[in-house]
Amino acid sequence: MLLRPIPCVLAALFVSSTTHADDFQLQRVLVEGARASQLGIADSAGAGSAGAKDLAGRIAYRPGELLEVTPGLIASQHSGEGKANQFYLRGFNLDHGTDLATWVDGMPVNQRSHAHGQGWTDLNFLIPELVGRLDYRKGPYSAREGDFSSAGVASLSYANRLVKSIASATVGQDGYARTMLAGSPEVAGGSLLYALELMKNDGPWTRPDGYRKVNAVLRYSQGYANNGWNVTAMSYSGHWNSTDQIPLRAVEDGRIGRFDLIDDSDGGKARRQSISGIWRSTDTDSASKVSAYVIRNELELFSNFTYFLNDPVNGDQFAQPDRRVTTGVDATHTWHMHRSDTLSSDLTVGAQLQNDNIYNGLYDTRKRARIATTREDHIVETSGAVFVENATRWSDALRTVVGVRANNYRFRVDGDRPENAGKAHDTLVTPTLNIAYGPWASTELYANYGHGFHSNDARGTVATVDPKTLDAVDRTPGLVRSRGVEFGLRTEAIPKMQMSLAVYRLDFDSELTYIGDAGNTEAGDPSRRYGIEFSNYYRPYKWLSVDFDAAWARARSLGNRIPGAIEGVAQLGVTVDRSGPWSGSLRLRWFGPRPLIEDDSVRSKASVTLNGRVGYQLAKDLQLELEAFNLTNRRASAIDYFYESQLAGETAPVADMHFHPIEPRSLRLTLVKTW
Amino acid sequence: MRLHGLKSVLLALLLCASAAASAHRFHFGMTDISYNARTESTEIVHTYTAHDIDALLLNLYGRQFDLSDVEDQAVLRTYVERHFWLADKDGKKLPVTWIGMTADAQSVVIYQELAATPLSAAAVIRQGMLVDFLAEQVNTVNLNEGGAVRSLTFLRQTLEQPAR
Repeated sequence: MLLRPIPCVLAALFVSSTTHADDFQLQRVLVEGARASQLGIADSAGAGSAGAKDLAGRIAYRPGELLEVTPGLIASQHSGEGKANQFYLRGFNLDHGTDLATWVDGMPVNQRSHAHGQGWTDLNFLIPELVGRLDYRKGPYSAREGDFSSAGVASLSYANRLVKSIASATVGQDGYARTMLAGSPEVAGGSLLYALELMKNDGPWTRPDGYRKVNAVLRYSQGYANNGWNVTAMSYSGHWNSTDQIPLRAVEDGRIGRFDLIDDSDGGKARRQSISGIWRSTDTDSASKVSAYVIRNELELFSNFTYFLNDPVNGDQFAQPDRRVTTGVDATHTWHMHRSDTLSSDLTVGAQLQNDNIYNGLYDTRKRARIATTREDHIVETSGAVFVENATRWSDALRTVVGVRANNYRFRVDGDRPENAGKAHDTLVTPTLNIAYGPWASTELYANYGHGFHSNDARGTVATVDPKTLDAVDRTPGLVRSRGVEFGLRTEAIPKMQMSLAVYRLDFDSELTYIGDAGNTEAGDPSRRYGIEFSNYYRPYKWLSVDFDAAWARARSLGNRIPGAIEGVAQLGVTVDRSGPWSGSLRLRWFGPRPLIEDDSVRSKASVTLNGRVGYQLAKDLQLELEAFNLTNRRASAIDYFYESQLAGETAPVADMHFHPIEPRSLRLTLVKTW
Repeated sequence: MRLHGLKSVLLALLLCASAAASAHRFHFGMTDISYNARTESTEIVHTYTAHDIDALLLNLYGRQFDLSDVEDQAVLRTYVERHFWLADKDGKKLPVTWIGMTADAQSVVIYQELAATPLSAAAVIRQGMLVDFLAEQVNTVNLNEGGAVRSLTFLRQTLEQPAR
């Protein structure tokens, strides 16, 4: 093994000599159908992994809900189906992904300095059948993670090969239909993975969403995931009508129904194309990984959240088009150092580069036709990061992971208004420390401390005037630090049961706040959160599994509540899969109450939804599945906001609750053929 | 189908050595091939470390498999049948059939059979299990003919060897 001078010095900080060594982080072997144990693997109680079977067993109304396999996470929708989901986790209203970093196959999904919201995370390009695993990590405790990862990180990876080719066809209520075809034939000594998905969904809305999407993946891979490479092309396009949130007063006085809308021209179009590649090499002493990507995203989005508040004649509809090309390279190298049977160490160095070339804007529109320009910008945002992380196993009982990360961001904004153009840059160094202590056979304790960050919208880092009001504004810093501390426990002391408990605190120097009537996020005041999370998975028999997660959080900013910040969430899932033809699952989700304004005088109600699924094996390779959403047909909100709006015919603004209802009970029937 | 006493001890020691996640792990496989006069069949028993098989499938398919699940066992079967075979003197593959497998957190044991065929029918053995995945994989094949045991060692450079 050849060691280069700088890594050698770094390595010498932790170990004095190396011997011939072997694999690093070993996945626990999966037997008897149990979820893979994270004992001895994970660095915190809030980290975990869900496998393909776990994910296939989820009952997901929309692809973004796959992320709900992360205990405590909620993915919701407040608009048309093609729009990015609304996420909640760890006491955050994450809007469209402000502090939740999502990755698919080494590509960042969050879009920074996005026209509609910082960290925009549109997962509609995801094809669930291709996902091999989802790894999640909550809290800012890893030097490997950067922007948007303070609440958590969800990382999904597509399989290089499918065990069998799949063809599936689904029909459902409310105009839902989906067909999907995927396979992975061996070609030229490698595997050619292909997938095509066509989907349409109208939803229960008075004006149908008319959501149509076409989604395709083509990947060629050679070798094994840890010793091989792949090149992947993805393409997604979708268009939809939106039923945005509606004012409660209009529903209560009968002016509109629960599934009606105010502005019948809201909606959008999205396109995403990417080419990416991953190369990995692993031997007994070291592991290297390089991934690179080019992503082109285009969005047209027309929204109207305040109706006739700002413009009683034309209405308040606005457009937020965004088109961008994101390029990036991530590289890591790990040296595995092995001193004795109980003492070993992995030293990882990594670098991440990302560039976004963005054209976006904010326009006043009427029935999707532009009538005024609020702002129009060309943004170039470039970031680089380097990190060093050392994971040492001091004994069978004690492990530590220590890391440090340096981030540099450069923002360049050219726009239609010279006073809001310019350049800015920011640098941030973030340390992390994780200790896992488990002198017992099946229980571990964790202590975690770390700094994380999110970037602010580039436009705010150079702005001097508000383009709407022309008032002077202060420039925001480019990068905002978060500080997290957590104590956790993971135990399998009860046979066939995996349990974890985490208590955490997370401070942010500045909260990214959603501005309802502007349809954007802005840098706000500092915040502090406390929370507790409890997660259980019990598999008493091979054919029966029960999972239960509960999370509670307290979020404050300068002593005030944070609008939309989630306080509690819980999920109970039961899955039955006997060896016979029948299988089934039920999932109960409690989406806890949220304060809707700072003084907590207006709050959203909690909602409970029950989803179910029954599968029947018609033949060896033919399965019929019936999925039912909102089985109890509850009338509840998918999301609530409180702000001022004005309807046609109203003479003054009205501060009111605005909500988007959850979909009533609906069924989907799927036929899956594998070969 | 009984492992020789000394080999059992050796196997147990190797499995223990490979069990500790942090320890250096030996990548090895052991295949016992013997003729059973009672059933008049040649019986084949493979033993591998569970971690190696788990990692193999994880890195091949990008997902984890439950080796106690029959559907998932079929995935391993496909791999085994591609990398381990016996051929007669004309180079024609002999019809080795899959009997079953067992798995626990330590080891994976795979049972195959060459029905109504003596071991002497096998002229060539190919044992490439895990070798394409782990460069250091060492596979030992023990041939038990009438109580006499011969051992062959298969490395990346020697995937095929004459059986006699």
